[in-house]
Amino acid sequence: MAEVSFAKQIELLKLGAGETFHGEGILAVTKALLQSGVTYVGGYQGAPVSHLLDVMVEARDLMGELGVNVQACTNEASAAAMLGASIMYPVRGAVTWKSIVGTNVAADALSNLSSPGVMGGALIVVGEDYGEGASVIQERTHAFAMKSAMWLMDPRPNLPTIVRMVEKGFQLSEASNAPVIMELRIRACHLRGTFVASDNVRPRISGRDLQQQPADFLYDRLAHPPVTYRHEKLKYEVRMPAARQFIVDHGLNELFDGKHRNVGLVVQGGLYNTLIRALQEMGLADSYGETDVPILALNVVYPLVPDEIVRFATGRDAIVVIEEGQPEYIEHEVGTILRRADCNTTLHGKDVLPMVGEYTSEMLVAGLLKVFSRHMPQLDLSGAQAFAASVDGVRRDAAQALAGPLPPRPPGFCIGCPERPVFAALKLAERDVGKVHVSADIGCHALATFEPFSFGNSILGYGMSLASSAGVQGFSAKRPVAIMGDGGFWHNGLLSGVTSSLLNKGDQILVIMKNGYTSATGTQDVISTPTSASRQAAEGLSTTANELTIEKTLKGMGVQWMRTVHNYNVGSVRDTLLDAMKTPYGGLKVIIAEGECQLERQRRLRPIRAKKLAGGERVVRERYGVDEDTCTGDHSCIRLSGCPTLTVKPSSDPLKTDPVAHVTNGCVGCGLCGANAHAATLCPSFFRAEIVSNPTWFDRAKAGARRMLTRVG
Amino acid sequence: MTQAARPLTYLIAALGGEGGGVLAEWIVECATRAGLPVQATSVPGVAQRTGATSYYIEVMSAPDPAGRAPIFALVPSAGRVDVAIASELLEAGRLLERGFVSPDRTLFIASTSRVYTTMEKMQMGDGRFDGDKVHAAAQALSRRYVSMDLDALAQANGTIVSAAMFGALAGAGAFPWPRELCEEVVRSGGRGAGPSLKGFAAAFAVAAHPPAAQTEAAPAPAAAEPLKTGADMAHLPQAVREVVAHGVARCIDYQDEAYGDLFLERVRTLVASAPALDDPRVAHALEEGARRLALWMAYEDIPRVADLKTRSARFERIRKDAEMQPGQILKVVEFMKPGADEIAAMLPARAGRWFMARADAAKYIPLLGKGINLSTTSVFGYWLMRGLAAMQRVRRSSLRYGEEQVAIELWLTAMRSALARAPDLAGALAELPRLLKGYGDTHLRGRTNYAAIFSRIVEPALASPAPSDHSAALRRAVAAALADPEGKTLSGALQGAA
Repeated sequence: MAEVSFAKQIELLKLGAGETFHGEGILAVTKALLQSGVTYVGGYQGAPVSHLLDVMVEARDLMGELGVNVQACTNEASAAAMLGASIMYPVRGAVTWKSIVGTNVAADALSNLSSPGVMGGALIVVGEDYGEGASVIQERTHAFAMKSAMWLMDPRPNLPTIVRMVEKGFQLSEASNAPVIMELRIRACHLRGTFVASDNVRPRISGRDLQQQPADFLYDRLAHPPVTYRHEKLKYEVRMPAARQFIVDHGLNELFDGKHRNVGLVVQGGLYNTLIRALQEMGLADSYGETDVPILALNVVYPLVPDEIVRFATGRDAIVVIEEGQPEYIEHEVGTILRRADCNTTLHGKDVLPMVGEYTSEMLVAGLLKVFSRHMPQLDLSGAQAFAASVDGVRRDAAQALAGPLPPRPPGFCIGCPERPVFAALKLAERDVGKVHVSADIGCHALATFEPFSFGNSILGYGMSLASSAGVQGFSAKRPVAIMGDGGFWHNGLLSGVTSSLLNKGDQILVIMKNGYTSATGTQDVISTPTSASRQAAEGLSTTANELTIEKTLKGMGVQWMRTVHNYNVGSVRDTLLDAMKTPYGGLKVIIAEGECQLERQRRLRPIRAKKLAGGERVVRERYGVDEDTCTGDHSCIRLSGCPTLTVKPSSDPLKTDPVAHVTNGCVGCGLCGANAHAATLCPSFFRAEIVSNPTWFDRAKAGARRMLTRVG
Repeated sequence: MTQAARPLTYLIAALGGEGGGVLAEWIVECATRAGLPVQATSVPGVAQRTGATSYYIEVMSAPDPAGRAPIFALVPSAGRVDVAIASELLEAGRLLERGFVSPDRTLFIASTSRVYTTMEKMQMGDGRFDGDKVHAAAQALSRRYVSMDLDALAQANGTIVSAAMFGALAGAGAFPWPRELCEEVVRSGGRGAGPSLKGFAAAFAVAAHPPAAQTEAAPAPAAAEPLKTGADMAHLPQAVREVVAHGVARCIDYQDEAYGDLFLERVRTLVASAPALDDPRVAHALEEGARRLALWMAYEDIPRVADLKTRSARFERIRKDAEMQPGQILKVVEFMKPGADEIAAMLPARAGRWFMARADAAKYIPLLGKGINLSTTSVFGYWLMRGLAAMQRVRRSSLRYGEEQVAIELWLTAMRSALARAPDLAGALAELPRLLKGYGDTHLRGRTNYAAIFSRIVEPALASPAPSDHSAALRRAVAAALADPEGKTLSGALQGAA
């Protein structure tokens, strides 16, 4: 990990019994892992669970004390495979990643883990990146739990419950010999709350207390036929009943009874708070969760306990399954359970609630109104009906007053980002050769799919861009261009993309953004991250030029056509792209676009510069600017950049009506504006200002002489 | 079921990197110190710095009853937000759009400052969303609307906007705890507490005692120099006279007194063709016509750019924009890449044509096509630019001057004809030279679009018996030319018009 400090968070991990933890949900999970005596932890970063691993990686001392082995894995498959340690040893392990994408990558290892089952507790903490703010495709982790017979927890979103469920999750895993997944939604991970901590537990077997003998050879613990047939029987005849028994014995699912007995609500634990708010809106619950309508909150959503469901449904006119996302796995299972028990309670769910998307209390009110008015006609629900109408009215009024939709504000490249110039160059290259097919990838560079670049004909997953252009190149007159970050390259792109292209002699172009980190998830290290020493020496300069792991790897694999370009040199990036498009060479062409992540550079530079300024040392700050006198307000510069600091302002010229371009003082002087002005022959309005603080006597003498010999200072 | 205790709900809309997380943390800390149960959530999204983000906080207004803990929501509910604050005006609009501001409930605090979205910035003309609409909607749809420039307050006090937001919330009475607690919490944050407290106090004062007029008036136009428009223009509407006065000044600044007189003479011919000055359409056409005429006559060529870049006022502006302190030294580097046509433009007409012929034949010309980085704060660079600026004296014999004057006269002729017969069309035609902007390829594209519209719409319109019928088509074509740089919209519009 680079320049971000997690000192405060690490202190929270050290809390002892009885002390109060104040912090974020994902950090509470991290603390709960230590309280559960975990032996090893692994994972791959991604919102909203990056923090778990980042903090653990930084907390080397604490992990050393406890003997916990922490691995920053290079992808989710390698993280999932770590759990293999719990198959044969009584050790607890936890891994984490963003789901659904990470679970997809991990799926092979997960299948082979859950078939033999585990001896030590195995917990998979996934950030269920679903709904508002999600950055991935909308699918549910639930399907993986069902297909591999792993148990799935979806705890009520408050820290005491989440922490308890982590601890219970390990026990459940051990009691039933199956891996357990805990899904946490984005807001639950970022929920800031409190819980009373327990002491951390030093694991019995660990880096400090070594296992002296490897496990015995037991063929039936291998995911290999013929024992896999027995595993399948074990899953459903032994492990699942054991899990159900544990769920009941430990009260993992929670019943909140209420006075209206004829209707019941079955809810995913993660949606419980939203449901309470909806009931409150209908006058059927209070702020402390006291409810008039009975609720069964499922902290374990797979497997369900048939007895629990039947007992809850029996004697009621109707139950409603409140389940986010599609398809409605829980509702299907509840339906089967009720039919088998010949329980004729009416089952509602997706018939009254939206099939897709995240549930808000407003949606739940709308859905529950339909059920309650039918099954509890005695209730006065006029307040809730009026609320729904008034909210619609407010939105309508606002839309009318704003007269049309607001311009969207998607995320964009940071100020001075080294990836922006590559897309400026690609746009300029297209002026020469026309539009090209661009296979986009996951990573910061995916932000080029937004304005002003709008690049990308497909996104097939992390590190998949080159592989996804393999099909296109066969029928395209122009060579397709695949964009990949160094994060995606090491995650998957090297094997899925490069080796496949080399094997098949693909006539493809691959642009690798070498910024030194997996930046989009919080600048975690990859194996080609510049060394700490070289970063400190470079201060604010880019350090990626001399780190050649990617180049050497590609060369070793047999890539013949490879060029490294310095990103801010837009003209030469464009020329190199054109070379790759026009060269007669028919194999894989790789352009390594080099420029260190600007976030990292600035984090490093800021304290160094502040110290120098305070110490009276000479410091030069560069920033760019636009002369508003000569700017004609066409904004072609912005269409080639999109930098947050290159913006517009009203012209102070009373004759000009269009706003002029303007560079704000947030400019970090990356150089793109100047390079674009040259490469695209934009306009003469751009200038670079170099501001010398604490000038030396020589600076002052030169400035004095200039003042004398010109008419300006 | 009792509804006695319900949480106070706070929604904070900010942009990535503005310290919204710090603000949420301050509020949580205050509530905790005040003994009130609290929960905060957020959707920070990806690590990028520029997207819209929001923070949502619920606080109980009384401590927990024994043995009970509140069930807090993680997501704000439309119509159920007590306090909403936005660090930026468009984001304030987004809160309104999503129904988070309601007349019976919401104290709404919005910054008047704008951070333009890429979509707004990248348009070829003016793509900015009209902020007045947000103010009007906020005024009408909130329980109480507090509006101030949070960004300016933060900058003036050397802090980031979150501190000013915290002050504005406290000043507007959004919290069930006293100001002192807020300040205590900020102070205990350590680093940067001083400026944060100053920013807090400044915004607190504005929110607690809002000035009478809350929305800021547009900056007053620079004090008009004595209006030099000629006595014969005294009868023109004030707005037209102002533009004419600025136009004269511009032309004199650009060339000389005689050029100012030429501008005035041209305006007079327009005025003479106008039938009735009390027709607002005529007045508008004259105002816009005079504006475009002045900007066109003061077209940007190399001598003009060199002159503007070496004025001392310009260096003063750079110092001010960069917030330079006394004692710091400034060096300025220009990025110049004059194209063949721009060099030819400033040469005497015959030399210019010879030069263009060479360039078109792709003959080698030294330095052409190479970007030049030139320091205007160096002695050499400064005097080189002054030398280029001095070419202004021979501008009248230059290739481009001749071409521009011919085109201007053509347009003026069309304007006069339109003014006399169809003030609508004249208004649209006055806007047409707006397309002639930029440098290099951009300028070339503008000229091509101008020529296409002139021959395909303007000339047929003036030749037709009812020129007014074509004014809508002309407006559409101008808008289309400014819609996309590839000219897709324009070719569609021209096809539609033909």
